[in-house]
Amino acid sequence: MPPADMDPPFGLLLTLGLLVLFYGGTFLMSARIGHKEENADSYMTAGHGIGFGVSAASMTATWIWASSMYASVTSGYTYGISGPIHYGLWGALMILFIYPFGRRIRKVAPHAHTLAEVMYARHGRSSQLMLAGSNVVGSVISLMSNFIAGGALISMLSPFSFVQGVVAIAAGVLLYTLWSGFRASVLTDFAQVVAMLGAVVVIVPALFLLLGGPSLFTEGAENLSPQQADFFSADAFLNQGAPYIAAVLAYAIGNQTIAQRLFAVREDLIKPTFVTATIGYGATVIGIGMIGVLALYAGITPAGGDPNNLLPQVAASYLPGVLLAVFFIMIIGSLSSTADSDLSALSSIAMADIYGQGVARRGGVDPKRMLFVGRLTMVVATAVAVVFASLQLNILDLLVFVGALWGALVFPVIASFYWGKVTNRAFTVSVLAALAVFLPVRFGAVPGTGLLPLLVEALAVVGVGVVLGLMVFGFLGTRPALVVGLLGSLASAPFVLGFLRDYQALTGSLVAYAVSTLVCWALSVRSATDFDFAEIGRRTGDFTDDAAAPAAPPADALSGARAEH
Amino acid sequence: MSPFVLTLYVLVWPVLVAGVLAVLCTAFGREAAEARREGRELV
Repeated sequence: MPPADMDPPFGLLLTLGLLVLFYGGTFLMSARIGHKEENADSYMTAGHGIGFGVSAASMTATWIWASSMYASVTSGYTYGISGPIHYGLWGALMILFIYPFGRRIRKVAPHAHTLAEVMYARHGRSSQLMLAGSNVVGSVISLMSNFIAGGALISMLSPFSFVQGVVAIAAGVLLYTLWSGFRASVLTDFAQVVAMLGAVVVIVPALFLLLGGPSLFTEGAENLSPQQADFFSADAFLNQGAPYIAAVLAYAIGNQTIAQRLFAVREDLIKPTFVTATIGYGATVIGIGMIGVLALYAGITPAGGDPNNLLPQVAASYLPGVLLAVFFIMIIGSLSSTADSDLSALSSIAMADIYGQGVARRGGVDPKRMLFVGRLTMVVATAVAVVFASLQLNILDLLVFVGALWGALVFPVIASFYWGKVTNRAFTVSVLAALAVFLPVRFGAVPGTGLLPLLVEALAVVGVGVVLGLMVFGFLGTRPALVVGLLGSLASAPFVLGFLRDYQALTGSLVAYAVSTLVCWALSVRSATDFDFAEIGRRTGDFTDDAAAPAAPPADALSGARAEH
Repeated sequence: MSPFVLTLYVLVWPVLVAGVLAVLCTAFGREAAEARREGRELV
């Protein structure tokens, strides 16, 4: 039953009550954070020493956003029983695959705040600008996307309009994040993850039973195509799984919300944090995706023909009142936890990369002004995201662009932390070259016949090797990575050449990886530079001298404006 | 896949989620108690 055909299940008072309960509760949690020791560093990284429970909950909550729940359900409905796996499993594994890189980054820059700040210490301004710029665009789009999800949910389940819903969500998130920044974000993430995971534990089995239980799989089997009924569906892998593998590796490496938690967790707890977040994210998102599979078996048609409506539609149609309220809190929790992380990420970039390093050049950082810059950034970012969300713009193209930018950054960023020969020129040129090739490939400007598409596919073959090689490199080092990358390229070549041109999203991502890798390698391999990685630790550090973190290495010319410990 | 296997396939995820939730809550409780004992902020 499409929601358009029925009255909103929530009244005004109930909707307001649930929003006040959720945002009032998170605000009270954040208000308990003491402000006597408030400083710019704890506003950005909570002193680099948070424990396993808080950090793992926060990493899980941040990685699960409302869109991932909707998309997993859509994947289950579109591709059948393997659909949720091809959304959730790869996203989860990427958290695991980036953890060795996370440990390395934390080792060379123990007191950094943003990845862009570390890139500035490693290379210089242009590399920093690329990372900071891509994160600003990415986080604003993510904010907007979460506000849109919240507005759509509220307008679907209550008498409030879409715009009223967007404003309510934006005000609620800003309310509890503004004062304590990252500390509020990670602390409230715990409550939000309990709400989200608790809801999954209850709602998935409940919907399974309400839709018919085990007999649904017999009675509804005819609703599935052979591909949808196949656990090893090639359709699901090529259309959903493979492009997603390439995309999320880029998102995980380049995303400041993940980097911020990496710099915040106690260094010896990075591994258990990432492993727990991997399992937590995977089980939650795949579990929610099962609702799409159940809807497919039940023969439910998405309202307006849009599979994105399926999750709220099934919930509104089948869940009894209390469970529908639990569902509402689950979605509000998922979008709020990501939105507050985006606000914290944006404020950190403004504080560390724009104000901190801009002022550092002139010889002094005022920590109070720095905090003001962070809070002002949150307000401005929220306002911008609300305006764009209210316009209900199609965000897909922007997301694709940011995804490609991060895809182009992955190899140069990772290589910059391991290979002393990588220069600022190699970093910058390789990213720009990758983007220049990506754009025409992704947007269909490459002709479908002739030599050019074959050349693009050859680059995609290299891209397959790069993605696989990077995954192996973090755990096992250079030689196994080269072997796996080479074997991966050779094995994929027969399936890519002459064939992949029909899958532009996947081809574009792979080409971005390949070109940035080839150009970065070519410009670096003969370089006489041998960068001393200890320099990064000396060039990044806390901005205030009362941070809880231990002393940073001695400041040099760049960090002269930072606190001397 | 048989209905029994599909049932297990659908319901195993909430069970895994419950396990992760238990781990997170236990760790959070332990850290909160430690912070209280030591008179410091949790984050």
